[in-house]
Amino acid sequence: MLSVLIWLPLLGALTIVLLPAAIAEKRSQGIALLFATAIALWTGVILVQFDPALPGLQFIESLAWIEPLGLTYQLGVDGLSIPLIAINSLLVWIVIYSSDRDRTRPKLYYSLILILCAGVAGAFVAQNLLLFFLFYEVELIPLYLMIAIWGGNRRGYAAMKFLIYTAISGILLLAAFFGLSLLSGVGSFDYALLQEQSLPLVTQLVLLTTIVIGFGIKIPIVPFHTWLPDAHVEAPTEVSVLLAGVLLKLGTYGLIRFGLGLFPQAWGYFAPVLAALAVVNVLYGSFVAIAQTDMKKIVAYSSVGHMGYILLAAAAATPLSLAGSIAQMVSHGLISALLFLLVGVVYSKTGTRDISVLRGLLTPERGLPLVGSLMILGVMASAGIPGMVGFIAEFIVYRSSLLIFPVQTLLCMIGTALTAVYFLNLINRSFFGRLPDRLDNLPPILWRERIPAIAIVILIIAFGLEPSWMLRWSEQTSVALGTPFLHSTTALVTGSVTPLPLPPLP
Amino acid sequence: MTQFLIDTVWWVPLYGLLGAIVTLPWAVGMVRRTGPRPAAYFNILMTLLALVHSITLLLATWALPVLHLDRAWLDFMDLRLTLSVEVSSISVGAAVLATGLSLLAQIFALGYLEKDWALARFYGLMGFFEAAMSGLALSDSLFLSYALLEMLTLSTYLLVGFWYAQPLVVTAARDAFLTKRVGDMLLLMGVVSLSAIAGTLGFGQLGIWAETAQLSPLVATLLGLALIAGPVGKCAQFPLNLWLDEAMEGPNPASILRNSVVVACGAYVLIRMEPILALSPVVLTTLIAIGAVTAVGASLVAIGQIDIKRVISHSTSAYLGLVFIAVGMQRQDIALLLLLTHAIAKALLFMSVGSIILTTNTQNITEMGGLAARMPATSSTYIVGSLGMVAVLPLGSFWALQQWATTVGSHLMALMLVVLLVNSLTAFNLTRVFGLIFWGQPQAKTRRAPEVPWLLATPSISLAIITLLLPLMLNQWGLLPEMAVWASMPTVLLMASGLLGVGLGGVLYLSPRSPELRGEGWKVLQNILAYDFHTDQLYRLTVVFAVRQGARLTAWFDQYVVDGMINLMGVASIMGGESLKYTISGQSRNYLLTVFVGVILGIAWLGWAFLN
Amino acid sequence: MVQLSPPPSVPSVLAPILERLESGGALLPDTPENVVEVVGILKSYGVVLDAYWRNLIYIAQHQFLVLFPFFKYFNGEVTPSKLLRYWWHDRINYEFAEYCMKGMMWHGGGGLDAYLDTPEFEERARAAIQAKVRSNPLMAGLNQLFPAFLLEQVRQSCYYSGLGQFWEVMSEMFLVLSDRYDRGEISSIPDVVAHVKQGLVDAAAKPITYAVDIKGQTYEIIPKSVGLTFLPDTAVPYVEAVFLRSFPFFGTVSYNAQANQISPEQADFNYGALFADPLPIGGAGIPPTLLMQDLRHFIPDYLHKVYQDDGRGEDDLRVKLCISFQKSMFCVTTAAVLGLMPHPQDTTDPQEQAENRAHLMVWLERLQASRLLRVQENV
Repeated sequence: MLSVLIWLPLLGALTIVLLPAAIAEKRSQGIALLFATAIALWTGVILVQFDPALPGLQFIESLAWIEPLGLTYQLGVDGLSIPLIAINSLLVWIVIYSSDRDRTRPKLYYSLILILCAGVAGAFVAQNLLLFFLFYEVELIPLYLMIAIWGGNRRGYAAMKFLIYTAISGILLLAAFFGLSLLSGVGSFDYALLQEQSLPLVTQLVLLTTIVIGFGIKIPIVPFHTWLPDAHVEAPTEVSVLLAGVLLKLGTYGLIRFGLGLFPQAWGYFAPVLAALAVVNVLYGSFVAIAQTDMKKIVAYSSVGHMGYILLAAAAATPLSLAGSIAQMVSHGLISALLFLLVGVVYSKTGTRDISVLRGLLTPERGLPLVGSLMILGVMASAGIPGMVGFIAEFIVYRSSLLIFPVQTLLCMIGTALTAVYFLNLINRSFFGRLPDRLDNLPPILWRERIPAIAIVILIIAFGLEPSWMLRWSEQTSVALGTPFLHSTTALVTGSVTPLPLPPLP
Repeated sequence: MTQFLIDTVWWVPLYGLLGAIVTLPWAVGMVRRTGPRPAAYFNILMTLLALVHSITLLLATWALPVLHLDRAWLDFMDLRLTLSVEVSSISVGAAVLATGLSLLAQIFALGYLEKDWALARFYGLMGFFEAAMSGLALSDSLFLSYALLEMLTLSTYLLVGFWYAQPLVVTAARDAFLTKRVGDMLLLMGVVSLSAIAGTLGFGQLGIWAETAQLSPLVATLLGLALIAGPVGKCAQFPLNLWLDEAMEGPNPASILRNSVVVACGAYVLIRMEPILALSPVVLTTLIAIGAVTAVGASLVAIGQIDIKRVISHSTSAYLGLVFIAVGMQRQDIALLLLLTHAIAKALLFMSVGSIILTTNTQNITEMGGLAARMPATSSTYIVGSLGMVAVLPLGSFWALQQWATTVGSHLMALMLVVLLVNSLTAFNLTRVFGLIFWGQPQAKTRRAPEVPWLLATPSISLAIITLLLPLMLNQWGLLPEMAVWASMPTVLLMASGLLGVGLGGVLYLSPRSPELRGEGWKVLQNILAYDFHTDQLYRLTVVFAVRQGARLTAWFDQYVVDGMINLMGVASIMGGESLKYTISGQSRNYLLTVFVGVILGIAWLGWAFLN
Repeated sequence: MVQLSPPPSVPSVLAPILERLESGGALLPDTPENVVEVVGILKSYGVVLDAYWRNLIYIAQHQFLVLFPFFKYFNGEVTPSKLLRYWWHDRINYEFAEYCMKGMMWHGGGGLDAYLDTPEFEERARAAIQAKVRSNPLMAGLNQLFPAFLLEQVRQSCYYSGLGQFWEVMSEMFLVLSDRYDRGEISSIPDVVAHVKQGLVDAAAKPITYAVDIKGQTYEIIPKSVGLTFLPDTAVPYVEAVFLRSFPFFGTVSYNAQANQISPEQADFNYGALFADPLPIGGAGIPPTLLMQDLRHFIPDYLHKVYQDDGRGEDDLRVKLCISFQKSMFCVTTAAVLGLMPHPQDTTDPQEQAENRAHLMVWLERLQASRLLRVQENV
């Protein structure tokens, strides 16, 4: 069942690679789209078959692979991973559909996207730590190549920076996984087995710290974030969409799955630090975004800020907050993908993303009015306006985290106002006003460039109006993963924080 | 029938929303050959339905006890969010007011914006606006109210930004959104905290909870202050008042609603939250202080304005200030009454203003004059609207202010002074404006001034008639005091203050031998008032400064310290990767291979280490 | 013919245009593309103007002092199918004609404006008002209370009629131009200008009159004896009010009194057809969009093809229409400017030549800030 998600895109990539050069130019995209459609349909089948009432893993597949290494081919999904898999399949389809028809070297390009898709899906379904690591690394290569080959002027620098950062991330994770496997005496990388570990708390804390830093680079957590804006700015639109929409979620997914999931006890001690980092992320990302003039940088730093909410809720680790965290992953996945898509259209039509140059793009006949309208919707969703998915996700995050980390949560909420500041600045500067003369002959917008954005907007509004469609998948898993917080009003009323039920440090 | 009307009460906001959705084909330019008017007609029809529905409901449930309808929206783990609706004479009455004024404003807009090809977008936004307002009127849950307030913020932004290519609109729309957003953010903090502390967000349950709640004074105060921040922004109260002035860049039909019912929505939510606010005396005192400062300050600022829309809009803040004081004194009944009478009179004034702008093509009152004789509908709506605003003749606001003065004002001498001052200054200001616009000799821009067409005149006259009938309606509903109270001291003082204002205004601006106010001192004073006591400088030096410098500093830190340091550390590894860097121009298979091999080797090495 | 060299006081950007005018050219450069655009758009404009003037005259004649003119755009023919079509907004945007009428009335100027302030007008108007309100006590009462109210409405009706009569001539002129083009008689911009100029000269002395029928009796409000004529009393004020001044657009100019974006002097207004920015056409608060929308329905095929092959094709049609329209209006303006020259254009008297040049310079300087320089570009 799940293997298809990994092998189908790889098969697609192989097909494209094997195409004769003569037809590759014309057919690569079509074939890639065909495979992407199949993947999306298959994801639909999995969604239908998935039973949200079960807390544990479903569609488990297990095969022995390299026994001596402890590497087994073990797959499964639960409520934490299934929404992310869905987002991955959706965005890959959208990215392939909306790609430029005359992209250079299409053969390589589309096969890389499909390999990326396989890598990400693999990472989300892998239930063996080493297998996860493999996919986590595999996903790096196409991403690196796509930035390095189809990127902007400083693509070499950005791609290299991305590679180094994520390689360090990988090394840290590998070290932590090996450490866990060795020290716990399990001698395998099987997730379920490792969950049973009973290491001393200090050891746990050391391993957890390593994992947090490892995934923290991916998320990214400030101060490990500087690869992200560079990568976004240099990357082609499609890569930005995938990067913000899914790949960052690998970090938060990993944090919850391998941090909280493997070290629930140490997590309690580490959570306050994470919550503080979340505040830093939110405020730091927002403030830096305010000072930017490149649209992509604004959206990129906005991502840094909004990932902070996921972090906050993950730190709180109550069932509701974990559900909120997952909801925020979905919400951010959709919204940031939308914003990057639209910024990509603006860039491809005007040749610039500089908000101090752009003006009056809402101009009806010669501007980009529909793109502008969708952009307004997108930024409003990002700023947490009710009726769209961003609001309910953030509301759940705040509402659940407030009980555990009141001060941190309130500080994070300042982010909602700051989001409005930088995004309104973007909108009012570049979309309001009069179109400059040098932009008064923009090429026409194609439906291919509008449909994906409209589709995402429909999802954003649908989930915003009926959030249970999004939340239902992860309810049981969140309950199973989270530490139930005994609802007490006295905690806040007296101004003190109820500590998590922790054993004393040795 | 009654049951059917009650069961379908949630249709009332949905009519407007449906209207808004139907405008889309025209608004996004899918319909090209024909014009956008069907969208406008459809929205007017929907608003009419909403009005008829809410009036029938009001009549049907007039004598019934208050009903609460709960609709679960999200029931997830321990989070239960409901879209509760209250059916009472107040809530449905408020919905009638919102949809009724919306209907009049939309008919007015048909004339006012007849040359505007973006009509569909305008009506879509108005439908959205109306949906949020009527929803807010009916809402029985703080969660729903918060959500709808945010919708209002969004639609205010979009409506002010309607003429997006106009340079001042660009900043006005942004400032309106951000100012309200600051209030909304604090309100959200309050809502989330309240949800966590009280475990519910229904107004009814919150009221019950508040009776027994044991909060520490600090928590109660902080919570209350957070909750009032939203209404402070919505109602354009000091210090979040300037957006309303800027929002006057938007089209006038939207200003009709904005100055009457939209600002009232904030106060309406405030009134519903009163039981929680009452947990802390500090919060109530803050409300009174904010209200008093705004009421007096805005009344003064209005006198310094020369722009016809701003002249009237500042008094909106002033009257909402009086509402705030009433809530602070826990007289919600008076607050509601004042909201009602103010909304109707202010909407009427803004209709008159719209007609004047359309006829004279200017908003500068010093360029006008002598319109009264030629524009009977416009001048009479202005006069009726003005009289409905101030306590001079026994029209709507007279009764509201009279009750305000006899109850709230009698408690505290200072508050009595506030209401007398507001009444007097507003009366003076409206007389001044009347003199400049309608009296005297026509100037170049008012030389040819035919009365506006029926699409503008009819809604104005209709509302004028409603304004005149309002005292009778109030009497019918038993909202007017006994005869004996009329002759009380506060009533006399109030009328005297109004007459004083009118008299002074008349001497200065109506008499042909009016003295010229040209002294240096007057000019300085007028400048201070014209620029709103330079409140914008206050923003500039505090919040704007902090955010801007904070952003600049953080960005600098990000670029030079964080990234710089990491790049420094990364130099070595980048050098190591140099061979990679130079192969980038095309030979993709090479680095694909290099990286892959690197990874595999790494794993193999680790695996080897692991096995040993 | 002796050519004067341009005096140094002529701004360099205007010098070539002045030279072209003096040598028999127009404000608009003479290129084949411009001829196609100008003639094509004037054809469509002729059709639209025809609808406009018929409606203006209808309103002036048959909606005289009607306070609720529900069907004023129907020209007296109200049928269910027409009603449905109008509700669907499938109609000519007559609002734009009224907009131009209001512009003329508000800016004033010319004999019509002066006449409306005379006692003779008031007397004639009062008679018509009396006849109209006699059977309507409500209006009679209103008239008693506000005697200036209906009088001002009558002034407005005079402008309805005046603009209608002006456009009647112009519409005919543009349609004939198109016919002549189709017959191959028009091949250059100077040909277009000559046609328009001849049309203006022919109609110059056409009397402007206005009378309404009330209950079977005719009330002359502007009798022929007042001596209002086509050129000085409608054409010239029209050019001033609509081509040059007009109103600031809500969509691009702030009416905020404290922002001082709008001049207190009407004479300083420069928002007219020759000045307006075509780029925001189609947007909010841009009244000329209405005209462009009407024009799009009647453009001849040869011009439509030009538009479809250019830029965004059908998507930015109205902006392209506006650009062409402005070009054509510069031709009409050329005709007016040449028609108003103090001396014959081919005079050899240096004194007269200097006066002609001074006349042209006044216009050129006034138009310097307009789209004049932009329409020179794609030569």
